[in-house]
Amino acid sequence: MKNRLRVLRAERGWSQADLAARLEVSRQSVNAIETGKFDPSLPLAFRLARLFEATIESIFVEDGAPTEQGPAKPEV
Amino acid sequence: MPLCNRHLSPLQRRSIQLFGANLTLTAVLTMGAHEFYKQAHPAVVFVYLLAGVLTIPVIGVIVVAGRYLKRETDEFIRMMVVQSLLWGLGVTFAMDTFLGGLFAFPEIYRLIPILNLDLFCVTCGFALRIQLWRNR
Repeated sequence: MKNRLRVLRAERGWSQADLAARLEVSRQSVNAIETGKFDPSLPLAFRLARLFEATIESIFVEDGAPTEQGPAKPEV
Repeated sequence: MPLCNRHLSPLQRRSIQLFGANLTLTAVLTMGAHEFYKQAHPAVVFVYLLAGVLTIPVIGVIVVAGRYLKRETDEFIRMMVVQSLLWGLGVTFAMDTFLGGLFAFPEIYRLIPILNLDLFCVTCGFALRIQLWRNR
């Protein structure tokens, strides 16, 4: 699952450690979510959305989901 | 890096201490049981009882791991610990199968005095270290 976490974090000038402290998780968790290695649970996704004052759908984008540029190309 | 001495949470520190205590208990009980078997030649009922006592640290490790997983709030760390436990189980089962194959040859089998719990805990520790390094 792709996400805009790195962008949102950079907009606020927070380091991964800052965000981790605000979410009360490890920095490794933040890094793993940002790099797409780990999809957070629904409670953590809600905490992220609340922290960034955004909706979950605006932070996380399902792989292959249609974007603003148009529908995703089917996988070959 | 989490699970390093400097960054351990009280829960992680306590769980590692309890893991260590169970490992020490395993070593003490196993050595004590072997000495007891050799010197006292106990009745069969005592042999069964002692064999049951030897399972206490094994159950203890499972309880400690379960308690940790239940209380750990960081889901990514929890996932890495679960994966490490699975590696520990996998390697222990594989080694057990390997040693089972050698059981018919006592002269070889006697040379490999590895305890399941030691192997499990050491493998879990290595697997967790590697995962923490990969996700540093």
